[in-house]
Amino acid sequence: MHKIALMIITLGLVLSIGIIFFGGSILGNNRVVSEPVQNSEIRDGVQYITINAKGGYSPKVSVAKAGIPTKLIIKTNGTYDCSAALVIRSVGFQKILPQTGETEIDLGVPKVGVPVQGICGMGMYNFQIEFQS
Amino acid sequence: MFRTYIFHVSGTHCAACKILIEDILGGQELIKKVQVNLKRETVEIETDSSQSIEELAEFLTSKIKSHGYTLSVEKTIPEPKSNDVIWKAIPIGLTFLALFFLLQKSGILNFGIGGQTTPTTSFIIGLVASVSSCLAIVGGLVLSLSAKISQDEVNDTKTFLLFHVGRLVSFAVLGGVLGLIGSAIGINFTLTAILGIIASLVMLLLGLNLVGVWANNKITLHSGIFDFFRKIEHKTLTPLAVGFGTFFLPCGFTQSMQVVALSSGSFISGTLIMFAFALGTLPMLVLLSFGSASFAHSKHAPLFFKSAGVVVIGLGLFAFLAGLAGLGIISPLFNI
Repeated sequence: MHKIALMIITLGLVLSIGIIFFGGSILGNNRVVSEPVQNSEIRDGVQYITINAKGGYSPKVSVAKAGIPTKLIIKTNGTYDCSAALVIRSVGFQKILPQTGETEIDLGVPKVGVPVQGICGMGMYNFQIEFQS
Repeated sequence: MFRTYIFHVSGTHCAACKILIEDILGGQELIKKVQVNLKRETVEIETDSSQSIEELAEFLTSKIKSHGYTLSVEKTIPEPKSNDVIWKAIPIGLTFLALFFLLQKSGILNFGIGGQTTPTTSFIIGLVASVSSCLAIVGGLVLSLSAKISQDEVNDTKTFLLFHVGRLVSFAVLGGVLGLIGSAIGINFTLTAILGIIASLVMLLLGLNLVGVWANNKITLHSGIFDFFRKIEHKTLTPLAVGFGTFFLPCGFTQSMQVVALSSGSFISGTLIMFAFALGTLPMLVLLSFGSASFAHSKHAPLFFKSAGVVVIGLGLFAFLAGLAGLGIISPLFNI
C-alpha cells in the first residue's frame, strides 16, 4: 500500500513537471495566436522587429512580413541571464549582448515560411519569428 | 586465547567502507585482527574476548552504527526496505526538481540590476546565478561529484575545499586576464555548449550510479569508467581543475560577467568582478557539497544518495537537451 501511494505521488510529480515544461509554452502559443503582438514596423522600406531579452525573450513568437529587408532589434535592460547570450544560427549571429541597450541584427530579406529562430547560448530560452506574405 | 569469528556486515556501499570499518574495529582493544571482505559482505575478526558471538556482534555494531554499518551473526536478507528506498527517493528528487523549475518559471530571478557593474553588484548577480538555471549545470555537477565523493571517500572535506578554492582562484585570475588582455577566452558558444554537454553526461552517469542502477554488483564499479573516476577523484589536482573548469561551463550569468570583466580594461577590476561573482555563487555551492557530505555520513545515506541521483539525472537531462538545442542539433523543447 505504502509503495502504491508513493507511486501515485511520483506520477503526480512527473505530470506537474511536464506542465511546468510544456504546459506554459502550449498556453503561451495559444495566446499569441489569439492576440498577435504588434512588434514590427516598417520605416523607409525596412522592417524592424523588436524583441525584449530578459529572463527569456518576449514575444516568444512574432509574425512579420516576408520579402522586405528586415532588421531585428534586441532590447536588453539589465539582462545578465542566459538570454543575453544570443545565437541566431540562420544568419550566423552569436554574441553576448550588452547588459543594457539595443542590438541591431540584419536578417536580410526573409522568405515566406522560413522562420528565424533565436536561442540563448545554453539552450534554455528561445524565440521564433514567422514570416508571412 | 584467540578466536576467530566471521560476521555478516550490511551497509558497505563503497570501497572506502572497508578501510573505515577496519580502522574503527582495529582500534578496539579486544580486537587483534580485522579483515573486511566487501565481495562477500563479511567481517572476520580475531579476538581474545570471552563474550559470546552475539554479544560481540552487538558490541561491535555499536561502534560502527553511526556510520551506517551493522554486524550480524546471521546473514540478514537484504531488507525489502532497500527496494522501497527508491520509491521514496523518486518523489523526493522529483519534488526538488519541480520546485527548482517552478522557481525558474516564476521569473523572480529575472530582476534587473541597472547601471554600472561593480564588484558589489556582481556579488549579488552571483547570488542570483547560484539559484538560477545555471544551477542545473554547475550545481548539478557539484551535487553529483560531491555525493559520489562522499560515497567513496571517508575524508571528503579536503576534496571539497580544494574544489571551492580552485573555483574562487581561477575566477579571480581568469577575470583579471580577461580585463588585461581583453580577448575573448571562454566566450566561444560552441565550446561552452560542448562542455555543457560533457558535464551533463557526467551528471547522468553519476546520477544513474547514485540511484543504484549498478547497485547489485558493487564490485563491477571498480572497472572501466568508474575506476577512472575513482583514480582522478583521489588526486589533489582534480578538484582544483574541476573548479577551474566551471569558469567555462555554460551559464548566462558567468558569461555576462566575463564580458563585463573583458570591458573593464584592467587586471584588478576584472579580478574583482569575477572574484565577487564567484563569491556570490559560493554559499549555494558550499551548501550543496558539504550538505551532501553530512547527509552521506548519516543513517539516511541510502535515501540521500538515491534522491540526489534522481535530482542529478533530471538536471543532467535538462542540461543535455538544452545543450543540444544550443548547438542547433535539436529544436528547443522547452522555454523556461
